[in-house]
Amino acid sequence: MTAAVLQLGEIVLAAGEIVALLGGNGAGKTTTFETILGFQDAGQPVLLFGQDVKNWTVERRVRAGIGYVPEGRRVFAGLTVRENLEAASSLARSARQRRLDEMFALFPQLGERPYARAWLLSGGQQQMLALARALMDRPRLLLLDEPTLGLAPLAVADLLGRLRPLAADGTAILVGEQRAGLVLDVAHRAVVLSRGRIVRSGTVAEVAADPALADLMAGG
Amino acid sequence: MAYALVALGFVLALNAAGAVNFAHGDHVVLGGAAAVVAGLWTGLPGLLLLPLVALVLAAVGILAARIAILPLATRPPEATFVATIALAAMIEQGLTVTMGSAPHTAPPLLGAGAFEIAGIALGRQPVAIVVVGTVLVGALWFLLERTQVGRRMRAVASDRHMARAVGIPVARYVVLSLALAGTLAGIAGLLLGHQFLVAPTQGAGHMLKAYIAVAIGGWGSVLGALLGALGIGFFETFVSATVGDAWASAALYVAVLAILILRPQGLFGEPAGRRA
Repeated sequence: MTAAVLQLGEIVLAAGEIVALLGGNGAGKTTTFETILGFQDAGQPVLLFGQDVKNWTVERRVRAGIGYVPEGRRVFAGLTVRENLEAASSLARSARQRRLDEMFALFPQLGERPYARAWLLSGGQQQMLALARALMDRPRLLLLDEPTLGLAPLAVADLLGRLRPLAADGTAILVGEQRAGLVLDVAHRAVVLSRGRIVRSGTVAEVAADPALADLMAGG
Repeated sequence: MAYALVALGFVLALNAAGAVNFAHGDHVVLGGAAAVVAGLWTGLPGLLLLPLVALVLAAVGILAARIAILPLATRPPEATFVATIALAAMIEQGLTVTMGSAPHTAPPLLGAGAFEIAGIALGRQPVAIVVVGTVLVGALWFLLERTQVGRRMRAVASDRHMARAVGIPVARYVVLSLALAGTLAGIAGLLLGHQFLVAPTQGAGHMLKAYIAVAIGGWGSVLGALLGALGIGFFETFVSATVGDAWASAALYVAVLAILILRPQGLFGEPAGRRA
């Protein structure tokens, strides 16, 4: 049996799986992401790629294969599109250039403006840049914290439409959302958080059918 | 041009540490003092002492990062302010005790005398300062704009938390930035130390000039720091030549106030809405 890509308490992800992390404001989604990354103490074992990473630094965890798209995008505003992608990569120069070309092919709207400063991009373009930045070093685990926040419906559809193909390539994806209706179409399973605790987990169908979660489901 | 090096070092340290390094002016003085001592021991001209002074002050920058900046990275910026002010006081008092309070002369870069180009006499020292300063500014631009190390230094300056989250070893880049800042401060100290001498109490003056350059250029902007420092130099020279030395400083502060009232973010600073 292959080891789980991520195991943090009841949150378990296998390769190629998309798990929706659902909850309202203050439910603990960002805290969960920061705990996986190592910014916050877990208080329980964190297993990444089959290893206990409790004593690993943030940088070591990321280099081991995590890509992170934070809430609010947080692209490097003064750097160009190209520089944002290059700065986030630990690949050697030639491999980095090849990967840049791949990213620009995957995200044509970024490829059209490689020398534009990130702060000049629209919200949707910045979100694509944040996603491309997270994908530069081919992560095995992709963490997305409220990726649809503040985006126009077309940009939301474009973003979410990219997740299934990524998962099909073997990337495990944990996507945090308050508007559950948006992500359940693309997720395989869902975990519901409230006040920092997991209150429900299961397949998308099981979670969506839970009457206690009707308010959360209505979002999106 | 020497003030441009001081301001560039100041802004590199500011961006890396996320707080002002109040010991930066004293690093300039320490660079001048290292040049004085090395000149006395070896009798070599300043140009040959440059690499040695640069290395010594790079080590001082690393030490500053290790003892006054990185250990306080998770504390409020005021903690770094106080730690670097303490570091500045230690450097100033240390120099006073070891060298005395009287000014010393650092060796000239290329010896005394002047070049004559098309009938115009140009002092060797000012020409050498412009050439060395221009080469260093060019090298720094290349590092920041054309290398992976530079991109990552700018990413750390832009958002330290996010830089860590994409795998950049931030502490290493803070140390590197402080080493570079120390190097630039040390070389500036050597360049200034022949014409303006070296005295332990000069640190605050250097610090003030760098602070003003960065404030009018745009807080955190490398280009702004460079142009701010060059602007200060031209402004003071122009005012001194037209109405006298006594008015130069007063006129500078009036001009700085006017700029900051008209454009609070500085000439090249980012308005709040520009941040992604």
